[in-house]
Order: sequence, then C-alpha cells, then structure tokens
Amino acid sequence: MAPMANATSTDQVRKFAAEQFADEPNWLRARRNRLVEVYLAAPLPVRQRTPLKSRKLDQIPIATVPGASDLPNDVQNLYQVANLITVNGQTMHIHVPPAWRDQGVILLSMKQAVNVAPQLLEEYLGTVVNDDVDKFQALNGALWQNGIFLYVPARVTLDHPITVAHFGSSNVSNVLPRSLLVLDQEARATIIEQYLSEPGPERSLWAIATEIVLKDGAQLQYGAMQQLAATAESFVRRGAQVGRDAHIYWNLGEFGSSLSIAEHTSLLEAPGGQSDSTTVFFGSGTQHQDYVSVAKHVAPHTTSRMVARGVMKDDSRSVFTGVTEIKKGAVGTDGRQKEKILMLSDTARADAIPSLLIEESDVFAAHAASAGPVDAAAIFYLMSRGLSEAEAIRMVVHGFLATAIDAIPVDVLRQNVWNAVERKIAE
Amino acid sequence: MATPVLEIKDLHVSIDGTPIINGLTLSVKGGEVHAIMGPNGTGKTSLAQTLMGHPHYTVTSGQVLLDGQDVLAMRTDQRARAGLFLAMQYPSEISGVTTANFLRTAINSLRAAQEEKPITLKEFRDRLDEAMRFLEMDLQFANRYLNEGFSGGEKKRNEILQMLMLRPRIAVLDEIDSGLDIDAVKVVAKGVHSLVGPEFGALVITHYQRILAYLKPDVVHIMMDGRIVKSGDKSLAEELETKGYDWVRSEFIHEV
Repeated sequence: MAPMANATSTDQVRKFAAEQFADEPNWLRARRNRLVEVYLAAPLPVRQRTPLKSRKLDQIPIATVPGASDLPNDVQNLYQVANLITVNGQTMHIHVPPAWRDQGVILLSMKQAVNVAPQLLEEYLGTVVNDDVDKFQALNGALWQNGIFLYVPARVTLDHPITVAHFGSSNVSNVLPRSLLVLDQEARATIIEQYLSEPGPERSLWAIATEIVLKDGAQLQYGAMQQLAATAESFVRRGAQVGRDAHIYWNLGEFGSSLSIAEHTSLLEAPGGQSDSTTVFFGSGTQHQDYVSVAKHVAPHTTSRMVARGVMKDDSRSVFTGVTEIKKGAVGTDGRQKEKILMLSDTARADAIPSLLIEESDVFAAHAASAGPVDAAAIFYLMSRGLSEAEAIRMVVHGFLATAIDAIPVDVLRQNVWNAVERKIAE
Repeated sequence: MATPVLEIKDLHVSIDGTPIINGLTLSVKGGEVHAIMGPNGTGKTSLAQTLMGHPHYTVTSGQVLLDGQDVLAMRTDQRARAGLFLAMQYPSEISGVTTANFLRTAINSLRAAQEEKPITLKEFRDRLDEAMRFLEMDLQFANRYLNEGFSGGEKKRNEILQMLMLRPRIAVLDEIDSGLDIDAVKVVAKGVHSLVGPEFGALVITHYQRILAYLKPDVVHIMMDGRIVKSGDKSLAEELETKGYDWVRSEFIHEV
C-alpha cells in the first residue's frame, strides 16, 4: 500500500537518518538504518479499545530538527535539582555529583554514551525493549535523540535520586527520548524521568523508550511523570529485566498528552525477582489514555504487585490492561494486581481489564478491578460540614488516590504527583 | 452572636413523588433541647435529611427558616455555614482522608465563610485533643480515615466530635443513640450538654426513650405519618414508653 499524504516522505526519513547520525559508530548506524526500514514498513500499534487510524498520526512531521528554544521558567527551576535536562532532544544541562564519579558510576546523556561508553551501550541497547514491535517503537529505535545513560557498579548505592527532565518546546513536532539504566549486582538507585512540553500551534509526536537492566540483587526505584501538553501524542514503552533477587519499583504518574499509549513490562527471568508497580493516571478534557502493565514471570519464586488508580473527568477515556503472565516452570510465583478508577463525569469512560495468563499450577495469582462514580452520599456528608461541592469532590479524589500516592517512597516524586493531581482537579 | 431560631412551618416533603412529611411545624431556639420520637417509617430521618438539603427529598410546600433566613433556598454547604449541623444516622466512610484532615478542612471552610483566618495547626490540635478527651475517645482516632472501618458506636462518637469541633448553632441528631451501649449514650448526652446554651439548640431524633433520661429535653414531640401529633414535656416520653405507639395512634391520629 502506498503511503498517502504523509507529512514526511520515506526518502526524507532515510536521508535524515543518514545525515543526522553520520558520526556515530557503524554498529549503531546500521541499527538505526535497519529500524528506519522497520518503521516505514510496520503497521500502527494495535490497541483494541484505542483506534489510532483516525488520529492521522502520519500528518505530524518526523525527522525534523527544531529551532533553538528558550527554557521556560519551570524547566529553569529544574537546573538546581536535575542531573540531566534535554530540550527537544538536545542536552541542555548535565550534572554528575563528583562522589558518584569516584564510586565508578557512569552517568551520561545517551549521546555522550555513544562515544564515552560504546561497549556498554552496544551490549544493552535494545535488549530489554523490542524495537521491532511496532511503528512508533521502531521510530524511537531508529531516530532516538537523547536521554539518560546510567551504569551503577556492583554494590554501589546512590545516596539521592537522579532526576531527568525531557522538555519539548512549542515548535517541536517530534521528540524521541531514550534512556538506558544498568544496575550491576546489588547496586541501588532511584531515578525520576519527567516529560514536559509547551502547547504548540501544531501537534507533536513523542515516542519514548526506557530500558532497565537489573543484575542479581540490584534494586531500582524508577519514577516517571508524564505532563506533556494537550497538543502532544505520546507512545511510551518501558521494560525492566530483573535479575535474581533483584527488585524493580515502578511509580508512574500519567497526566498529560492528548493521546497516551504506554506500556511497561517487568521481565522476571531469574528466581526471587520482584516487581512493584504503581500507576496513577488522571484524564480530563478529551484525553485518551491506554495503558498496559505487564508482569512476566518466567523464573520460579518471582513476585509481582501491580496497582493502578485512575481518576477520569470531562470526556476523557482510559483503558488500563494489567497482564500477569506466568510461564510454565515459574513455580511459587505470586502475582497480584488491583485497578480502581473513579469517574467524575457521566461522559468519561474507563475500562480496567485484568488479565491472567497462567501456564503453571503451583502459583498464586489474584486480581481486582473496579470503576465507579463518586459516592453521592459522601459528597452530601462532606457538604453538610460546610465544604463546597468542589471541595468535597477534591477531598474524595484525594482520599481515593492517597493510598497509591502516599506509598511512593521518593519524596520529591510523591510531591510532584500530588501537585499534578491538584492541577488536574482545578482544571 | 444572637440566639439561633430554627422554624419549620407546615413542611411538606415527598420522595420520588410519594409524600413523606405532611405539614410539620416545629420551632427550636438556642438553649433548648427538643426530642422527636416516633415509630420507624414515620419520616423522622426524612425530616433530618430535608433540613440539611439532601437532594433525594423534594419540599413541596412549607418553610424552613434559620434566624428568619430561608434555609430551603440554601445549598447544603451554605446551610452548614449558616450554623446548621446534622449528625447522621449512617455517616459515609471517606477512604484516604484522615478524620483530623477532614475536620481542619471543614473548620476552615466555615471560617472562610465568616471571613476569618484559617485555624492554626496548634489551636486545631489543642481543640481536637480536648474534644476527644472529653468524649473519651482514643486520640489515635484522629489519624484514622474518616469513618472507614469504624464500628457503629465509633461513628456516632465521631459525629459528636465533629459537632463539638464545628460548633454549630442548631444541631439535628438523627438516631445518634441507636446501637450505642449505655456508657456511649451518656458520652453523647454529655457532648450535647456541653454546647447547650443561648447560642446552641438541639433537635434530637430518636426511636428510644433511653437517651432522653440523660439529654433531659425541654420539649418532646411525637411524630407519626409525617406530622407532629403531640408535644409535651419529658413526661410525654415516659408515657409513650409505658403505653407504646399504638396508644398514640389510637389517641391522636383519628382526631386529625
């Protein structure tokens, strides 16, 4: 089938890839070029409840280099705390605490890693997330711009969280962040990635990928905050390969973007691996959100906890699919998931779909899912004490999200999530 | 502040088109404790919910005035800000919101309506501790989510705690005594009495005579079929206890 009315021609994409990455090593250029072809040939991602064809995503230009942009104030404020800030895919700021460097920690932008840590990059890039899986994943794999590269040596514990901010200006049409985090044996770290953008006159397409490798006994607190502008359409894929007795914690806050398609997967491939996943999402306006959370139990005695709490207002639409997959041989697996959605409007829609795919009998698996409106009796009760209706709803929403958000162990992230919730309630 | 007056004049209320209160007239002033007694299904809870503005109930005619102001024209939160309080029979459970956080928010909502500054954390804590000690409540209660997992008795005590903290001008207590043991009934009565004075009056709705021994109401009303059929002093409650509601029905209903 011939491509029709694409904003960017196939030749433009190929030419862009060839020019833009000309000074990268051969293996990486070959990889990018191969994925350019995958991108051009691959179909759109398939989400049963989220039709993508009608969104005409091919009309958003890709393979473009945006002009320079001033940093908005809220990104400037991040300078004091952020270890890495990217703007439109370019590094604007990087800070590595000297003490970490002395411990052998490698913290770079992905662009730097191409030259400074090419062996590690080549060893791990694309090993956790499959870039061939769909069109936008291939786009990220082919043209990824920047992100954070982290290597924490064995038995090193980072004493405070790493923060990363990816920012898109109003004139950017295409942002492709990519991050790679490797924690060696028994290493421990905390990292927060934030995604922010200015609303633009035109739509922008974000394809985001983060790969995580946890060696035996390693622990990572991974947090992400997605607060892209309403003109953004985002596709996110994250994966963690969890080693023996290693532990991944996902704390994901999803608030922005007009379309948000996101998936995160814990691959529990060695005994004793654990995954704790919390997703908090809040839809408003005409936002369409489609999340998939996967815990894939391959090895015995692996554990997964999956929690999702969503609030939907206005005409927003969400789908949350939790997948607990237990392979043959993964005896002693314990996989649990719980999804709860609070509906603030009659015109919002939400589906919570727990899915258990179990091939082994000696396991424990459980799920619970619900979606329901605000309890009118509770609102009456609160108003009878003098709270306005808006205050009463705010309090019920707070209470609904509290158990999930207050469990986020990273102070700054927890506060960020609460702030984002406040803004969404007030919208 | 002036002595509050709640006046209910020939109130008619229906729910889903079915009349449930049929011409009820009653007046409560600061310094007074009124009790409404009556059998189940006679409209007592409907009266309480209507006074607070529950959306299920439709007032078809009549008036409710607080200090001459039209209560029926107010939203539920405006009624609370005007000084009306309802201790509910079945308080809602609010997950994730601690009792303390809720009470502080509520106090500040009321204060904002009076253009007063928010309560300081210290003043709030002191008042809360004092009120909880007075009601013989475990101080840990304040940190629990509002009514979540509370026993029936704990919920009722929590309603009285809210009343003490919010300091309403007229309080309606809907079956505050049901399900309480006698010690808890005494505590509830003590809570009400601590507020009664020129600036506070109470309307206590109950099915049982038991609590009245401690509340010592100034006026007892008997309610049947959505109306007050007889009012008197507290000896009326005692008479009712001995003779039962059938006596009321045969004595008063046919007359009207």
